[in-house]
Amino acid sequence: MTIAIVELIDRIKTRIGVDGPPVTATVEAGHVRRFVEAIDDPNPRWTREAPPTFLVALASASMHLGDAEDFGTGWLNGGNRFEYFAPVMIGDEITAVSHLEDVFDKAGSSGEMLFLVFETDYKNQRGELVARLRGTVIRR
Amino acid sequence: MTRIAAGVKVGQELPELVKHPTTRQLVQYAGAQGDFYEIHYDQDYARRVGLPGVILHGLLKAAFLGQLITDWIGDEATLKSMEVSYRGIDMPAHPYRCRGKVTRIEGKEVELEIWGEDQSGRRTTVGTAAVTMR
Repeated sequence: MTIAIVELIDRIKTRIGVDGPPVTATVEAGHVRRFVEAIDDPNPRWTREAPPTFLVALASASMHLGDAEDFGTGWLNGGNRFEYFAPVMIGDEITAVSHLEDVFDKAGSSGEMLFLVFETDYKNQRGELVARLRGTVIRR
Repeated sequence: MTRIAAGVKVGQELPELVKHPTTRQLVQYAGAQGDFYEIHYDQDYARRVGLPGVILHGLLKAAFLGQLITDWIGDEATLKSMEVSYRGIDMPAHPYRCRGKVTRIEGKEVELEIWGEDQSGRRTTVGTAAVTMR
């Protein structure tokens, strides 16, 4: 198992820093409404603006790396970091570009775990960076 | 909603936000976010991968903590960053208590410690955030 995970990490490491395909989507009023209903946040501000974590609904917080599924049986979300540079308003057209930032393994209470760290930049229709998201997903 | 006041002080606690997630809400959230990983709505699947049942999305808990902050700051500050680590699982039908505390103030920059607690007071999500006063 140990040798297998080392080989897997080496294979996944070749993807570090390589941008995935850009994903462009409009911040639609109906989508934001369904999102704020789902998180149960009635703040009227979200009729004009997207709430802080909405961007993950526009483009996935992590890239799909099929290779990682050669290890373990399930995924866990380890953590997220959101940095905000400009508000995201309803009607904005957002383009998200993700890359793998890091991959490593760690021994946990339930055995060996594989950590993947992704970073996604979100830009609006004017090319302004509105937010940067870092997400750590764990395969175990 | 209680709002951030001009006299914000280090050590001050944010008004807590208690959420009451349901399995229905997990399905709603799965649809709204587009995260259809079965551990959030399929009990059999969740148990097969060793969980006690369906669990809350980490990002749903992050959304709850986002609300904790945006309820508090209102229009008086801007959220600059929020970082959370998911340390434990949370299940629907149990209250999820969002809390926070001011840890540092530097001019207009205010730093916060934020966390989410389960019913027993265990911090299943921990993190930090920064806001800038207007």
